[in-house]
This record gives sequence, C-alpha cells and structure tokens, in this order.
Amino acid sequence: MNVSDFKFRLMVCCALAAMLAVLAIPSSLAAQTNQTELVQRIKELEQQLAALSAAAAAAEPAAVAQPAPAVAQAAGQRGGNAPAGQAAPAAGQRGAPAAPPAQNPPMQMPMPAPNTGPLNPENTPPDSTNPQDLLDRIKTLEQRIRDLETGTVLSDPETRVRKVEVYVDPDGTIHDQPTPGAKKETTYQRERVYRRQTINEKIEEALADAEEHNVKVGVDAGIVAQYAHRTQGDPTPGDGHAYELVSADLFFTAGIAQHTLFFADIVGLSGPNPEGELQVLTLVNGYSARLVSQNDISLREAWLRTELFGQKLGLTAGRLDLTNYFDHNMAANDETTQFLSDALVNNPALGLSTNGSGLALVYDPKNGFTFKVGLQQSKTEAKSLSESMFTLGEIGYLARIPGLSEGNYRVWYRTDNGDPGTGYRIAYGTSIDQKLRPGLTLFARYGASQAEVKRDHFYSGGLQFDNGLGIFPGDAWGVGYGQNDFQVGGKERLIEGYYRFNLTEKLNLSFHVQHFWELLEGGGKLGYLIPGVRLQASF
Amino acid sequence: MFKAKRIIKTSGFIAAVLGMGATLMSLLPAPTSLAAQAQAPAQAPAPIKVPDPTKVVMIVNRDSNDIAFMDVNTKKVVGSTFLGNNVNPHMVMMSPDGRYVVTGGTRANKAYIIDSRTLQLVKVIPTDLGPEHLSFSPDSRWYYQGNPDGDSISVIDMQSLSKIKTISGLAEPLNITFTADGSKAYVGNYGAHWVGVIDVRRHELLKKIQIGNVPGVAKLDPERYLGEIKGINIAAPSVDGRYLYAADSDLAVVGVIDTQTDKVIKTIRVGKDPWRIYMNHDGKYAITANNGDETISIIDLKKNEVAATLEAGPDMTGVNFAAGKAFVISSTSGFVYVYNMSSLRPAGRIRLGTNVNLETATTDPSDQKLYLAESTTNEVVIIDARTEQIERVANVGLFPWGTHIMDSKDNYCH
Repeated sequence: MNVSDFKFRLMVCCALAAMLAVLAIPSSLAAQTNQTELVQRIKELEQQLAALSAAAAAAEPAAVAQPAPAVAQAAGQRGGNAPAGQAAPAAGQRGAPAAPPAQNPPMQMPMPAPNTGPLNPENTPPDSTNPQDLLDRIKTLEQRIRDLETGTVLSDPETRVRKVEVYVDPDGTIHDQPTPGAKKETTYQRERVYRRQTINEKIEEALADAEEHNVKVGVDAGIVAQYAHRTQGDPTPGDGHAYELVSADLFFTAGIAQHTLFFADIVGLSGPNPEGELQVLTLVNGYSARLVSQNDISLREAWLRTELFGQKLGLTAGRLDLTNYFDHNMAANDETTQFLSDALVNNPALGLSTNGSGLALVYDPKNGFTFKVGLQQSKTEAKSLSESMFTLGEIGYLARIPGLSEGNYRVWYRTDNGDPGTGYRIAYGTSIDQKLRPGLTLFARYGASQAEVKRDHFYSGGLQFDNGLGIFPGDAWGVGYGQNDFQVGGKERLIEGYYRFNLTEKLNLSFHVQHFWELLEGGGKLGYLIPGVRLQASF
Repeated sequence: MFKAKRIIKTSGFIAAVLGMGATLMSLLPAPTSLAAQAQAPAQAPAPIKVPDPTKVVMIVNRDSNDIAFMDVNTKKVVGSTFLGNNVNPHMVMMSPDGRYVVTGGTRANKAYIIDSRTLQLVKVIPTDLGPEHLSFSPDSRWYYQGNPDGDSISVIDMQSLSKIKTISGLAEPLNITFTADGSKAYVGNYGAHWVGVIDVRRHELLKKIQIGNVPGVAKLDPERYLGEIKGINIAAPSVDGRYLYAADSDLAVVGVIDTQTDKVIKTIRVGKDPWRIYMNHDGKYAITANNGDETISIIDLKKNEVAATLEAGPDMTGVNFAAGKAFVISSTSGFVYVYNMSSLRPAGRIRLGTNVNLETATTDPSDQKLYLAESTTNEVVIIDARTEQIERVANVGLFPWGTHIMDSKDNYCH
C-alpha cells in the first residue's frame, strides 16, 4: 500500500464516519422525541387509570374502600387509587407484596405516582430510558385501563329481551334469513350488551318498571265553602246561609293489556249543598252533581278502555259519565279547577243527570277531526237497559282562523227516552273554545232540547285567562255568563267570576263570586249573590 | 484524488439530507397507540370507505359502542367504527369541513375522533365526566365536548387533535351553540336557569344570562324546585343567527336572547316541561315539545309569541321539519305526530310500531327524508316526508340512539 493509496482509504473512512455521525444525530433526536412522547403517554395513562380507579372506588365504597388502602400501603402512594378488587390480584400476579386490610379507609383521591404498585406493576423505574420498557409499560397500562373500563362497571352488563323474527323450516331449524320451506315466526330472545349504567339509572329504571305494572291510585279532593246572600225577591230559606261541600274522588288505573286500561272512580261527598235551600234551576256548585247520598261512598265510574285500528279508535265500556267524552270545552268543563256553576261546566241540554252503564266510541285520526258516538243510561233506579237510554253523537274540529290561535268547534246531537210515555226526545248543541291570543280563550255553548212544549234553550259564554296572565305563572281566572230559557219552570241568568291560585303542582286555591237571577214561573224574581272558596288538591 | 474528494463531499451531502429527512420523519405526529405503532410493521394506507361524507347517515349505536355509517343512496351500512366496550356513545357530529366525525363516550369519559373517509379511529381524548352533547366551531377548528356530569366543556383543538382546556363553572351543560362568526358559544345549563356565554378566543365563560325567575310560590312547592332541577336544555339559534331561543323545562318558558347584546328581550310562556326548541327551516316558526302536558307549542318567531298549542304524544324526543311539515317524535308511543306548518294544524300521525322506542332523527339536506333511530329493533326508519311512507333499514347496530347527516338542518340529540 503506497502513501497516496493509504491517504485515499483514510479519507474514505473519514467520510463514512462523518456520514454515520450525521445519520446518528437525527435518529438520536427521534429517539429522544419518542422517549418524551412515551413518558408523556405513560403519565397520561397513569392519570387516566388513577381517575378511573378513584371513580370505581367511589362507586363501590363497600367493596373497595377497605382493601384499597392496603394496596396503597403495600404498593406505595401510586397504589392508593386502584380498586382493591382489581389491584390486589394484579399486584399479586405482578409480584407486588400483599398487605393486610387497613381499617378506617381514608377518602380515595388521586396521588402522585411512585416507582411501584398497581399502576406500575412491572416495577419499571419512572426514569427508565429503555424504549422497550416504556412501551411495555404503556401496553400494560392500556390493558389495565381496558380491563378496568370493562370489568369494573358500575352495573352488570345490560340484559334485555328482544322480539326477533326468525324462519323455521319443517325440521325445526331456525334461520335468520328467509329460507325455502321455512315459516316466518316471532320469538323472543335475551341479549346482553356492554351498556354501562349508573346505580341511579338502574334504580330509576326499576321504579319506572314497577310503576308501570302497578295499579295507580290518584286522589282528587275538593272543599267548597259558599255563602248565599239574597239580592232580589222575597225572603227565602237560604238567605244568609253558608254551605260547605267536601268531595274526595279516588281513582284507580291499571294497564291490563296492550292499549287497554281499567279505570274506576270512587267518590265520597259530605256536607250541605246550596241547592238544598236556594230556589235555583241549575246547580250552584257543580260538585253537587256527584252527590247521590250524603256521607256515602259511591262508584262513580268503572270502565275498560281499549284502542283499536292503530290506536285511532278508542272504545270505552262500563259505568260511564258521557260528559267526559261529549261537550268538551277547554275553558269551561271542570268544576274542580274552573267555574263552579254547573251551567258553566256542561250544557244542561245534554240532559244527563246521573252516570250509568254505557259505551263510548271515539275515532281520532289526529288530523284535527274527531268523531264520537256514545250511549249511556242515566237513571239510577232503572230496571233494564231499555230505560232512560241516552244516545249521543259528536263531531269535533280543530280550526285555526287566520289571525287567531287554535280553536275547537264541536256539534253534538242526542236522543233519549228518559221520560216514560213521551217517546224519544232530541237535543242538539255546540261547544266552542277559541284562543284569541296566548293565554286568552273565548268559550261559548249553545244547546236546545225538546221540551213538553217547544224547546228549552241554553246559552253560555265567557273568557278564560291563563298562561302567565295572572299573579303567578300557573294561575288562571275567568268570567262566564249562562242563560237557561226553559219553557216550563222558569228561566235563569247567572254570572260567575273566579281566580285560581296555583299554589303547587298539586294544590289550587280559588275564589269565586256567582250571581243567580231566577225568573220564576209565576212572574216573581229572585237574586242570590254567592261568594265562595274552593281548595282543590289532586295527586 | 480530486475525484475521491468529490465522492466524499457528495456522500456527505447525501448523508446530511438523509439525516434531516429522518429527523423530520421522527417529528411527525404520533399515532393513537404508540405501543401498537412500535410493534406493527409499516401499514398500507387505510382504504376509503366513505368517498363523500355528505352522503352518509351517521348512526350512534349506544350498546354496540360504535358509529355506523349508512349510505343515503344504497341505504346500506358501509362501515362502522368500534369505540370500545362500555363507551356508550351519545351524540355524533361531523366537522363542518367534513374531515372528522366525533362523538363523546358517556361512560368512558372520552372523546373519539374518527376519520370521516377511512372510518378509522384517529384519536381518543380523555374528557371530563359523562360527555354527551357537542358542537363544532364554524371553522372546524374547535370541538366543544359538553360534560354534563362534570359541569364542564372540554375544548379540543382539531388541528393538533388534543384537548387544550376544560371550561368549568357550568351546571350540567346540555347544549352548545356557536355564533355564525365563531366568536362566542352559548351553553344551555340543564342544572340551572341561565345560559352561559363563552368567549371562543380565550375559551372562557364570559357571562351568565338568566332566562326566567323561579315563581314566588316555589316556597310552597320545594319538591318541585329542589328535588330535581330541569333548567335550560337548549339555546337554539334563529335561522339568521340573530337570536337565541333558550327553553327552560322547570319554568316552562322560552327566553329570547339577542346575540348582539346578550340580553333577554322576551320570555315566552309555553306548555309544561318543554324539551328543547326546534327551528322550522323557513325561519318563521319554532316548536317546543312539552312533555309535561303532551302538547307542542308553535312559536311565531316574528311576533315571538305562541301561535298554536296542539296536542301531541308522550315522551317526545325531537322535532324534524321537511316538506312543509313538522314531524314530532313520541318515543314510547311508537308514533311520529305530523303537523302542517302552513295551517299550523295537526296532520295525522305515522305509526312506526308497537312496544318500540323511537329515539331521534335527522333530516336530509334537501328536506325530503327523515332518518329516525329506533332502538328496540335496532333499525333506522326512513320516512318520506311528502308521502309519509316508511322504509326500514335493519341491523344498523345495537340500540341506535341518534342519527346525523352533514349539512342537515335537523341535527340534534336527546
């Protein structure tokens, strides 16, 4: 080898060395970057694991609280956050020392990570720079998090029963897809899913399920106190007298089949009612319509309701009050929360005086039209269904007149054989409630019923204010007027105003003022001013 | 010799270039699992499963813990992204730029970022407790993940795909709405009666806007107001973005907020227990689903008052608008109630089944079809808005909880 050749070789070697050095710089930089990321990732995972462990420990205090500190003691601070059920065996598997359970466990909180413990079971020093060590730790931590997330659930995996459609061939083999010769059948099958639910969710679910399958009981109680002051006419027995009627309705509702409901309403009434003394043509207190006899409990309604044809047709049968289905009105149809005067609760022309056996069909395609047909006996002492049978039909329409809000318009027609010897009599009427603006509803009724001579006529109307147009948001108030023009027995005019305080969701207090003018058949006149208070609770 | 020197210089230059290249390569963003990367050999690029992200319906499957992607034309599931056991994803949304799909895993306390074309899980980011509803800033930069159980919002930077901040001080944040310019975000707090205003530049809670007063009679009814608070469930923007409509369940009101002044200009009383407010696409009306009295209140947005209150069904979960109609989902009844938005009258109801649970739906951008998740039979029901005919797509995943289409005007969640 000559000198020049040696020099050449030396230069080549130097160049190669320089090349290797240049190549080594970036790779060492990359390695450092990777190590930083790995360490960062480990820290993130440790934090995540600690948080999960703490959450699991908080969720299962009885099972977790005691052993966890033991792990903490044995494995150092880092182990304090791991749930015992998970951490102890894992620590055992990984060689971590076991420790006896400690007493009076402290609150489980995330703590700084030392060298060993459930969060670092492989005992890798935190300052290890060996990439493989770091990768192993990441892998272990990821696995532990996965295990913790999967195993330490706050509830069992969700199990539910599903309806499935399968195809069964003549041999009884089940196919998921249509198969020649196989018949489509519906069956039920359990499935389990990974839905983690909190204890609260499970409890709520169980309560809702129990409620759904139980008989629901409701109460609607009312106390109405009134005072009558004669304003016109000759002295009458009721002048200056006070009255109080107490009513309690007990409802039972139970879902007994698909879209089928049983309902019963038992009512008890007690106390003197104004109609006993005052010479009025319609009831001063609508509650009195329920009164069969004082201090007795009576079955007011008991019926079964089912829904047919895609739930468009509702069929109700049993002991009914057909006024619950016909002659509805949004503003004047409920003596427990709206007007007290019976003439502002239902149309007297309907003629239904007592509840009885009956049937109601309601067809509601949910397009704004409703069609109703019903029949009901309205005589307590009837000996057969041929007596005092009322038949009703009604068409309802939800309209929206330009410039106004929605309104309900109903017309009805009825026949009855309530009066023996007079054959069937007819009546017809209408009931309207039209929202003029939000919170302001105009209502009106008209009815005509066949009388012994010509027809009796009835008119009523008024306004209801609600939806924030009172003192408190849930309050409502209204004014109404009613007029009964009977062909026989006199005529009647009445006005009523009320204000209802919505004290709570279950409690209402309302103040009423009524005035009745009675035009007696002989030409005399009577007037009564009747202030009153109603306390109503439903729950 | 000269030749040798030139070779050495050339070799050194090449080595330097290679070294720099290697350094640059090492500085590229790390993938999801570093351990997996270290062990797996170099992989071919993931195949494109969704060429056009605007043409898929995203389905959140709560019990199979995945996001399924259904092609709107073929009505077939083209792929799904498994998130992990017990993740229980709640809501899914695609970023406005169509690049990513994100969801919050309610029981995993994590946010999941999916590539919208390859459907690969790109990143999993720890959040606060119980992530549910979420929103994107209009420029797709920020992904706000609401954590109702943690009373916070996790701010995720979609450029670095990392969580940069947790905004605390909220009370069960149930809904997040960005302004059109992306400068502010409004948060409906279900655990309170105020709307939070967030400065998106600093990601800080700027202001609390009270929607309504708790009535004075609350003292007599402590159970109602102290037992469980059901406050503001949404602050939905008007179509022009000028106003926000915030529905408060307990107070049964909708507060109208001027987004320029951040003041309540009107409070509209609606039915009991309103569950959110949904904007008709023409900007004339909005609907609240009042689960307390099973009605809907149709609000005239010009007058800011209730134009009609109509009967509806139980357990309403959402309202979609298409073909001039409103479709109100009644979860437990199995019906979708239909309303004519011209006459503001009921227009029938569509029966989707018995003993089924309807969840939420999205409407396609052309306002022709609804894609409704039905969790009992694991289906998505497609409703033709004009004819009201239905078509069922079975086996989309376990317990489909909600659907989402990019650019749909009806993207919402429970």
